[in-house]
Amino acid sequence: MNAFFDRWVARVRAVFAKPALDAEFDSELAHHLEQHVSDLIKEGMMPDEAARQARIALGGIEQLKELHRDSRGLPFLEQVGRDLSYGLRVLNRERGFATVALLVLAIGIGLNTTVFSLVNTVLLRPIPFTHADRLVWIFNGDPAASSHDLSGIASQVDTWEGLRETSRSLEQIEAYNPFSVRQTYRLTGAGDPETILSVDVSYGLFGMLGVKPLIGRLFLPEDGVKNAPGRIILSHQLWQRRYGSDPRIVGQTIQINGGPVEVIGVLPPADTFTSVFFPAVRVDTYAALSNDEARNWGNTVSLIGHARPGASIDQIRSDLLLSVAQIKKEYPNRNPYFAANVISLHDWVAGSLKRPLQFLWIAAGLVLAIVNFNLGGLLLAKGASRRKELALRCALGAGRARIAWQLLTECFVLVATGTLLGGLVAWGFIHFLAVRSSVEIPLLNGLRLDASALSFTVLLSAITVASCGALPVWKLARVGDIQKSLNDEGRGSSGGRNRSRTRSILVIAEVALACVLAVSAGLLVRSLLNLLAVDLGFRPQNLVAVRIDPVGDGPKENYLEEILDHVRALPGIEHAALTDCVPVERDRSWGIYPVNKDNPKDQRWTGAHIRIVSSGLFAAMGTTLVAGRDFDRTDAKDAPGAIIINQALANQFWPGESAVGRQVNVNGNFPGAVIGVVANVRHDGPEIPSGNEMYLSLHQVNDGSSWDMIVRTKLPVAALTAGLRDVLRPIDATLPLTKVRPMQALVDRTLSSRRLLVWLIGGFAAIAVGLSALGLYGVISYMVSQQTKEIGIRMALGADASTVQRHIVLQTMKLAFCGLAFGIGTAFVAGRGLNSMLYGVSPEDPTNYFVATLILLTCALFAGYIPARHASRVDPLIALRTD
Amino acid sequence: MSKDKIDLLQGTLDLLVLQTLTCMGPMHGYGIARRIEQVGGDVLILNQGTIYAALVRLQQGKMISAEWGTSENNRKAKFYEITARGRKRLVEETENWQRVSGVVHRILDAAAGEAAT
Repeated sequence: MNAFFDRWVARVRAVFAKPALDAEFDSELAHHLEQHVSDLIKEGMMPDEAARQARIALGGIEQLKELHRDSRGLPFLEQVGRDLSYGLRVLNRERGFATVALLVLAIGIGLNTTVFSLVNTVLLRPIPFTHADRLVWIFNGDPAASSHDLSGIASQVDTWEGLRETSRSLEQIEAYNPFSVRQTYRLTGAGDPETILSVDVSYGLFGMLGVKPLIGRLFLPEDGVKNAPGRIILSHQLWQRRYGSDPRIVGQTIQINGGPVEVIGVLPPADTFTSVFFPAVRVDTYAALSNDEARNWGNTVSLIGHARPGASIDQIRSDLLLSVAQIKKEYPNRNPYFAANVISLHDWVAGSLKRPLQFLWIAAGLVLAIVNFNLGGLLLAKGASRRKELALRCALGAGRARIAWQLLTECFVLVATGTLLGGLVAWGFIHFLAVRSSVEIPLLNGLRLDASALSFTVLLSAITVASCGALPVWKLARVGDIQKSLNDEGRGSSGGRNRSRTRSILVIAEVALACVLAVSAGLLVRSLLNLLAVDLGFRPQNLVAVRIDPVGDGPKENYLEEILDHVRALPGIEHAALTDCVPVERDRSWGIYPVNKDNPKDQRWTGAHIRIVSSGLFAAMGTTLVAGRDFDRTDAKDAPGAIIINQALANQFWPGESAVGRQVNVNGNFPGAVIGVVANVRHDGPEIPSGNEMYLSLHQVNDGSSWDMIVRTKLPVAALTAGLRDVLRPIDATLPLTKVRPMQALVDRTLSSRRLLVWLIGGFAAIAVGLSALGLYGVISYMVSQQTKEIGIRMALGADASTVQRHIVLQTMKLAFCGLAFGIGTAFVAGRGLNSMLYGVSPEDPTNYFVATLILLTCALFAGYIPARHASRVDPLIALRTD
Repeated sequence: MSKDKIDLLQGTLDLLVLQTLTCMGPMHGYGIARRIEQVGGDVLILNQGTIYAALVRLQQGKMISAEWGTSENNRKAKFYEITARGRKRLVEETENWQRVSGVVHRILDAAAGEAAT
């Protein structure tokens, strides 16, 4: 064994000590010959004859040296090394080809690695929590309902505690308050006052998810009891930003909303909880959820369960059904309207992204296929020009396997270099995506170029080498062709016909795939355009939401009205009003029923989104008042209840009749009359249709604790903020004014993941069309170069330039039409798969196919015209002389 | 090539080289080749060059060591010497060889006996 090991070490070393070892062996051989010759002369031989005999006895000197090298070194590896360096030399010689090929490869492989990383991060990899496969999402309401507004799917604290007691399949159920992030707090103390976001989590949640503090501790049971002293955990970014990463912050007291709060810990830089549950939101602090305080607030907690080992989702589902039945039986006086549905946490978080990401993955795969076809075509063309070289090498004794191997190595050199570049491209893209904090894709900030992505890249390049290399190698290494190649002068079109047929097929496939991508991209782009044109029920342009959070308890309406009066007086402000619920960002629902005077028992309850607002909101938002009037000063605290409802609710209660003046009851404790009807507002963003909505006056309901001032102004945000600071600081010295956000940005955020998808698919389609044009150009210009002589003859015989051009362009178009025919057929099928991602456009829409066809044909025209013009300028005399 | 000469079996050259070095002490490549030719007489065909492939194999496996020295006619030559590991291998291989050749002998003898009856 030792001898074996020593031998291999020596062989590897021999590879690197080649010149020295060769020289040593040379002198050893010289000595051998000399000695032998002198011995033979001593035996009486003539010197010449002796030298000849000595050489014969030794065998051929060169073969001997070769044998020596092979026995002492690693002949196979050295061979590979030689092929590699030859491959590099070939690439260096053909720089134009190499540049195009590398560019194409870098794009194809870079995009695929990026998309794989995205898919891997969001779909394939488990969520970065401990026992992620055992975590489930428990939600209220009807699972089949289309709208998943938060009030509908959150649960009551009672439900949570009941499930905890009765469930057998779940080891642990923890909760957080999803509404808490909608509220803002005022962080004061050293430095400018700041608006921060905080999430209430049950004390055991972080422990169950496996979130560990960077410094300090997590919450303990005593932090979650009623009236416990305020304690918070800081997010890493707040700690860095505001406290300069000072570890002594733990244990210190900071001022939030004017009260003292103790910092007990700091989370690590990767805030997995927020990146999963609140993507694109910057959460600053976490506080402990108090069951007793949240008990009477309605549906306010989101539940996450940790299943026992081996419990399946179906088992948990039926177990929770039993639990719900048991709770209802034991506590008949509790609200009976609740459910406990369950799906795996991963499905909940990433389910809606499954289809778009899968589609993206397929699209990236198509781009890679086009890249491969293109590269295969380029290699074939390049191979054609090297046929004679290869034939010569064959004639000189290189075996077929040897030549095939060398061609594959060359392809490998190319692809390996391309893969390296592609890796760089992917790294850039991934970095770019990971810092898009405004894109609402869960876990996006965990996106990085990791080992699995790199292995995927290596796999891709191996596939590329195999698929691009195999065809030319098979075509070129056929020994039967050698004789023909040496004789073939490349005259006329006879020589390259077979090869150009293969290339034509490749190009047709490229055009077909590009067509599929172009049609799909068209559908998605039009969906996005349709969404951007959707009437939201308000005009987000020139509209700014300014967060105003009054400090302390007690009625706020005087404070709020004072602020409004000051802001309205500012120059450049068209309208200003207050709402507790910015559309698109926030939602919550209350119950309402129309009062039936004849039968008070007849309470047809329905849920509606509730906004508590000041007067002037509709004017500021640009929401149309359809009937009745807006709130005004007469709707004071003691005046009769006034309610404004939207058209959807009006139509539901009183279809075809006037709603104004009707009596309704909100939540069973706020009777009032409908004073106005306004247009529907898309409260969940453009993609989700409006629901029922109602508006109450902030003078009549003391419920809101967090407000947004909606300001219609043409002033830029910075100027607006400065103006607001000047007039509001005298009223409220610690008002932060750090959350001043254009409404358009909020609307855009709801479309952010779709926009990203459209950009990516659109980019893919553009690249695909470009590559297929490049492929067409390659085939046609190769064909032209092969037919130079033929063209020369025809021109010498009197064909004019335009005839030659027409002929070549027609050939290009023939290929393009073939590709389009296949492509349109495939796109027709693919479009159906896209259906669920489309908005306001049918997958069969003919305009789309027309535009895609037009774009591809235009590209084909250019791809054909350039070589055609080139050909028509051929000088017959020169053409006939070329070889 | 005359009919009564035999080619060396694969691997046996290593054995012969080791044996030669054991008997004769340090030698250079040419010397080893000549020695094997002399002993083998007219029966063995030795392509002298193949000695060097065997030498490099053995040297890399540390069965023999090599050193540049001065030859009998005052020229620089590479001298090979058997190592402890080489001696051990020689003993093992010799035993192995004898066992195999013994078996082959017995089989051939039996076959010859049967053919004679």
